[in-house]
Order: sequence, then C-alpha cells, then structure tokens
Amino acid sequence: MKTVVIGMLGITLDAMKKRGDRWQQWRPTVDVCRQEDLVVDRFELIFQPRFKTLAGQITRDIESVSPETDVRAQHVELEDPWDFEEVYGALHDFASNYNFKPEREQYLVHITTGTHVAQICQFLLTESRHIPGRLLQTSPPKKKGRPGSYSIIDLDLSKYDRIASRFRLEQRESRDFLKSGIATRNAAFNKLIERIEQVAIASKAPLLLMGPTGAGKSQLARRIFELKTLRKQISGRFVEVNCATIRGDGAMSALFGHKKGAFTGAAGPRDGLLREANGGILFLDEIGELGLEEQAMLLRAVEEGRFLPVGSDREVESDFQLLSGTNRDLHEAVAKGTFRDDLLARINLWTFQLPALRDRTEDMEPNLDYELARWTETQGERVTFSKEARKLFLDFAVSPAAVWAGNFRDFSAALQRMATLAEGGRITVPIAREELERLRASWQRPGTAGGEEILARFLDESVVASLDLFDRVQLAEVLRVCSTAKSLSDAGRTLFAESRKRRTTTNDADRVRKYLARFDLAWSDFQR
Amino acid sequence: MGEGGGQVLRSSLALSAVTGTPFRVESIRARRSRPGLLRQHLTAVRAIAEVCGARMHGDALGSRELTFEPGEVQHGDYHFAVGTAGSTTLVFQTVLPPLLLAAGRSRIVFEGGTHNPMAPPFDFIARTFLPLLQRMGASVTAELKRPGFYPAGGGRFVVDLTGGQPLSGLSLLERGDVEQVGIEARVSQIREHVATREMKALAGALADLPIEADTAVVESAGPGNVAVVTVRTPQLTETFTGFGERGVKAEKVAHRLAGEVRKYLAADAPVGEHLADQLLIPLALGGGGEYRTVEPSLHTRTNIEVIEAFLPDRVKLAERDGFRVEVRA
Repeated sequence: MKTVVIGMLGITLDAMKKRGDRWQQWRPTVDVCRQEDLVVDRFELIFQPRFKTLAGQITRDIESVSPETDVRAQHVELEDPWDFEEVYGALHDFASNYNFKPEREQYLVHITTGTHVAQICQFLLTESRHIPGRLLQTSPPKKKGRPGSYSIIDLDLSKYDRIASRFRLEQRESRDFLKSGIATRNAAFNKLIERIEQVAIASKAPLLLMGPTGAGKSQLARRIFELKTLRKQISGRFVEVNCATIRGDGAMSALFGHKKGAFTGAAGPRDGLLREANGGILFLDEIGELGLEEQAMLLRAVEEGRFLPVGSDREVESDFQLLSGTNRDLHEAVAKGTFRDDLLARINLWTFQLPALRDRTEDMEPNLDYELARWTETQGERVTFSKEARKLFLDFAVSPAAVWAGNFRDFSAALQRMATLAEGGRITVPIAREELERLRASWQRPGTAGGEEILARFLDESVVASLDLFDRVQLAEVLRVCSTAKSLSDAGRTLFAESRKRRTTTNDADRVRKYLARFDLAWSDFQR
Repeated sequence: MGEGGGQVLRSSLALSAVTGTPFRVESIRARRSRPGLLRQHLTAVRAIAEVCGARMHGDALGSRELTFEPGEVQHGDYHFAVGTAGSTTLVFQTVLPPLLLAAGRSRIVFEGGTHNPMAPPFDFIARTFLPLLQRMGASVTAELKRPGFYPAGGGRFVVDLTGGQPLSGLSLLERGDVEQVGIEARVSQIREHVATREMKALAGALADLPIEADTAVVESAGPGNVAVVTVRTPQLTETFTGFGERGVKAEKVAHRLAGEVRKYLAADAPVGEHLADQLLIPLALGGGGEYRTVEPSLHTRTNIEVIEAFLPDRVKLAERDGFRVEVRA
C-alpha cells in the first residue's frame, strides 16, 4: 500500500523567512516527509504556477530528507485563493481528474497549508469522498529544527464522531426547524424530515410534497424557505400560490405576468408570481389543478429559467426553486390527460409523502404542546390543560374514532377553540369533552371533508347516489379506515375496537370483508 | 527488544544474513509512544533484504512483528537513499557484514545523512572502524563525496569492497602513547567563524597534546557544523565528534567534545564506548580477538546477547583490568 499525500503548497508556512535557516523553520510540507513513522511515497503538491520557485525549493528539500518521496507538481490556476467558489472548483477539478487507486494507495489530504478556504474545501471534498482519503494535520515541533507532529483524521471513524455529533446537533436543530419546533416522536416522520432537510440544503431541484389536506405541506414549504434563507442559500422571496384559486383566464397572467396592454384591462404591466420568486422559492400548492397551458409554460420556466409573459415577445428570466404540493395522485392525472407527464417528471425528482395526522399518533402530544405555546405567543396569554382534560383529549386524539380528516388544520382549530373557551387560561374536562363532540360531529357529517370524496373514490357516482344517508355515513367511515389500514385485520381492529374488548374470539377481518362485499368492494380495492 | 531496539534489530539482520539463520522478532518497541517499526528501522530492513534476497513478513511501518528469512548474499552495485530520519552509517553497518564475508565485489552508494548525532558519524567509520577491519584483512574503503547534516541530509559516500577475504583476529589490549591528536571543525552554510572558535577552544582545552589542526568550509545540502577529534595511538585511531547546534555556543560544543576526549584518555583502555560496540560482530564473524574497553554501554551488552542468540558461546565480557571483551572465533 503506497502512501500518497495531497497538499497545497503553503506560500506562507512553507516559504522561507527572509532571514534565517530554512531547516530550523517548521515547513509543514517538508515536515510531512520527515516523520519517523510515516513514509510518503508520493506527494501531490498543488500550487499556482507563479510560485514555482518556492515549489522547486520545497521539492528539492523533500527529496533530500526523504528520498522515498516522489514529489509531483500539480498546477492550479487561482485568481483569488480566498474565493470559495473558485478554490472549491479548482480542487474539485483536481479530484475529478485524479486517477485514484484506493485499492493500492492510501491518500492523506494535508490541510495544514493553504488558505482557510482551501482547508475547508479539502475537508468538504474528503468528507464527500471526492477524495477517497483521510485528513492529515501537522503541527510545529516543540524544539526548533526537529520534526513536528502529525495526526491523521479519518472522517469515517470514531474520532470524527465527536465532531459529527456536534454537527448532528446542529442538524437536529435545523430539522426541528423544519418541523416548526415540534419534536416529533414518529420515527418515519423524523426520517422524512431528515431527508427533506438533506435534499433542501443540498439541492436546488424541484421538490414535490404530497399529502392530505392539512398535513402541513404549505407550512413545510415555508420552513424550507426559511431554512435556506438562514443558511444564506437563497436571498429571494417565498411566493406561495394555491393553483386551485388561479384557474381560468387570469392564471397565465398571475403566474407569468403580462405586458401593459396585453389584454383588455391590462392597464399596467405585471411581473407575475414566477418573477416575484426570482432568487427564492415558488410554492405551487395543488399543482394538479393547474391548466395544461400553464403547465407547458411552467415546464419551460423550470427547465430553462425563462418564459414568455402574456402579450410579450421577449422572454424574461427567473431563477427560483420550485416546490409543489398536491393531495391528488398526479400519475392518475397524467393517465387521464389532465397533467403533463413531462412536467410531472420534472417536478417529482424528489417526492415526499407527508403522513396524515392519524398516522402519527405519537406526535399528538408534542403537537398539543406546540399549539399551546403558539397560542401563548400570538395571544399573549398562557393556556394550560387540567391533567384530566389533557388525558381525555389525547386519548381521543389517538383513538381510531379520531379521523382527523383535516389533519393539522383540524387539530390546530380544536386547540384554538378550546383555548378561546378556557376561562382563566385553563382547559377543563367539560371544555375538552365539548370539543370532542364538535370534532366527531364535523367528521361524521357526510359531505364534509372526506365524506363524499371518499365514496366517490371507491364507488361509481350512480351507486353513491342510490345509497341511503344511513349507509352512506357508515360506508364512508369504513372506507376511510380501510384506505389507511395496513391490512384487512388492521381495519377490523380499528372498526370494532370497542366490542373487541368484550369478546374472547374475534374475526373482525371477516366482518369487514362481508360488509365491503355488500357494496361490491374487496380488500384489493384499497391497495394501490 | 529492550534498550536500543533499533540496534538489536540491525545486529540481528546482519547476523541472520551472514549465518543464513532466519529470525523473528515480536513486540517490537512495544512500550514506546510510537510502537512498532519506525522508518529508520525499515530502511535497514529493506536494504539488507535486497543484499541477501530475504523473504519477509511484517516489513511495514508500525509493524510489531518481523520475520526475516535470508537468502543468498548478492554482490554488485547498490544504492541506498536514506531519509534524514535514519542515517546512512547505520544502514552501512547492517549491510557490511554479509557483503564482507561472502565472496565478491560490491560498490555501495549511500545517500542521506552522514553526520547525525544519533548515529556513528562518517568520520568514525572512515578513520576508526574501517582501518581496524583493514588490519584484519578486509578489503574495504569508504569515501565521503559530500557530507549530509541533520536535518537537511543530502550527503553521499561510496563504499568499495571485495568480500570473502579471510579475516584474522584482532587484539587491542594496550593503548600506548598518544602519537597525534587531530582537531578539525567543518561548517556548511554557517559562518566560518563558528569553526574558528571551535578550533580555538579545542586547541586550548587539549593544549598539552600533540595537536594538528584543520578548519574547513564544506559543501552540503543544508547547514551543519561538526568538530572532530581523532586520537592516534600505536594500535588504533579513536574518533570523537561534536555537533554544533542552534543556540549552543561554539565554545560549548568544543568543551563538551574535549571532555569526551579527556575521559577516554583518562580511562587508559584503547577501545572507546562506541568502538567496543561496533567491533563485536566483525570479531565474532572473523578470527575472534580481545580488547580492553571502558565500561560497556547498555547497547554493547544487548549486542552481546544478540550475538549469543546467533553464535552461542562466542563473546565473553570480563571485568579485569577495567573491562575486557574476549571473542572466540
């Protein structure tokens, strides 16, 4: 195994002082090659051609103290070694063009020399495995003229864990940031947020957030914007629009802007939302509602960063990151011809499915605390639950009876109502019980969120129309449970949760199967 | 390996190559802060492996175990470039015995440090050690082409030898009168007056002796300064070297060196501390011999143990008339 050091020529540290003996001076690049327990077989010395005199001196000195070392000159052109982008680009090029042979050579990236910017870039390139090596750090000797010490830092190994755990802490902070400060206890949701954060920070590519109404798509999009702003990745605005609200004639102009006099009533020019989002984020919620014409223009804007405002013959530019939200299956929309497949391919590079609130039962409690804290913040008064009321509400919140059809929207509204009614800032059992009734009623009324919708998803319109209200309510609820259940048995357990407690034998799955059969439905209908 | 782990290793390598006996060392430098084989050890290991076509296991930096199976000694042209962490003279001492004992001619070029405080300086090899080997019948010469000082190194010396000559015994029991004391100081890339001051101080400190003085500015890759005193007696010439150091006055270097010379002269034994160590292997492999010396260093004692392991019952250390080493052929 050969040892190869990759290091920048240190134009300060490796250079000779005006007076004095260079051999008494600690020159990190030479020093690396005169260690008692490290033999460098090859040194890839990276420097700008204008420092070739110094590089030559260092090369000769290395050859003298370490005949084993083959020093190779690696020229890089840098106008400004403090310019992050330039240095990163140059080192990245070096790494991409370098023929690494990790099975035969071990690489040490010497980070002691070079500007701080170069150090950071070397760290990043090593951490991201662009350079498949370890970091090498040298420090001056205790006694002049002697070799200094060195340490090798393996970013993959334990020593790095301590740094990494601090880094993780920071990451956790930004993750919490994405969750609006809610410490989620749901492992799957945690993982999802983690991944979204990773992608949001690393990429400017479009993100598609899928999930039921009220699952928090819009909030999440805004938090991504705030996170990226905080990290100075973007400097523009957050522009949000629900595509369902801009259907029709005005949609084109709203999105892409228009020229003065483009159409009747276009008294002045309008920039459009895409232009407003320049340098920032454009969040198109319910993107499935966008018309085909708008879709075509949007595709061009996303792909090329330019588009044509209404009535204009000159294209304008806008550089934005597109986040889209939908609660519809866009693939289905593509099949029906209402959504362009090329646009879908473009916006769903990263698709994240936000879970419904009822799938995150562990998170009811932290969300409850979060909502109360938010209430305190916005209303300026503290509201608390009595112990019993809190238990009553939470027990209900995680029970199968709580559908949370509107997800966080319902949850947040429930908390706001209770807080409003809380006399003296105390939510008592009667207040909580009253709220539970309100929630139940809202979810059980057919036609409200989910009722008609879910029936229409599984049954023909004519079948739904032929059902009695009595059956419709019950069936909607059963369908809702089945569509989120993992298995038929799971659905049975939820639907017959109360009576199960009193029975010794159970075959609830069969009961559900038979019930569904009455409407010509089978379990397979619930599996996508 | 105990004290002088490097020395034990080098002696074992040389003896193994000469005797054809494989060996294995375990827990190399086990309790040091940087355990295992260091670079300078590895340089010696690789050099002698080349000379005797050895097969090895564990010849890597930091290795705690080394297995060495020597093959046939090959004469020819060798070139050993040694980093300054090691020393060319140590590599020289490792490869010399096998090349000297097997028949054939070799020319060996050593490059790197030739004057390193942690190793025998070239002057000791050329003026003290080799003349004694020549007296035993060895055909070997060494020529310094360019000195290499620590830390820059860059020195070079060439050894020409014809191996396979029978080696006679050597007896160094009496020192006799001091015939001449050579004092010299050399500088490279350092102001010459450093050498002048050293000479002046040495001449003063050794004024009662028959002194011959010489100052020289030499060419080397980096800065360096040595002061060398040779003491010629009827039987041999002993060599003492002082190293100039940044922050240490020239006079101090000279006085320290003069002190060493005085200590040697006061002891009355012909063989000094370092030579006592270096003579063991040639005598054990050659026609044997005996010598009187100053109190043996720990190095010398461990070296005797190593020789015992390869060539049992050869070396005897007796405390009679000071210290006396007897080596059976």
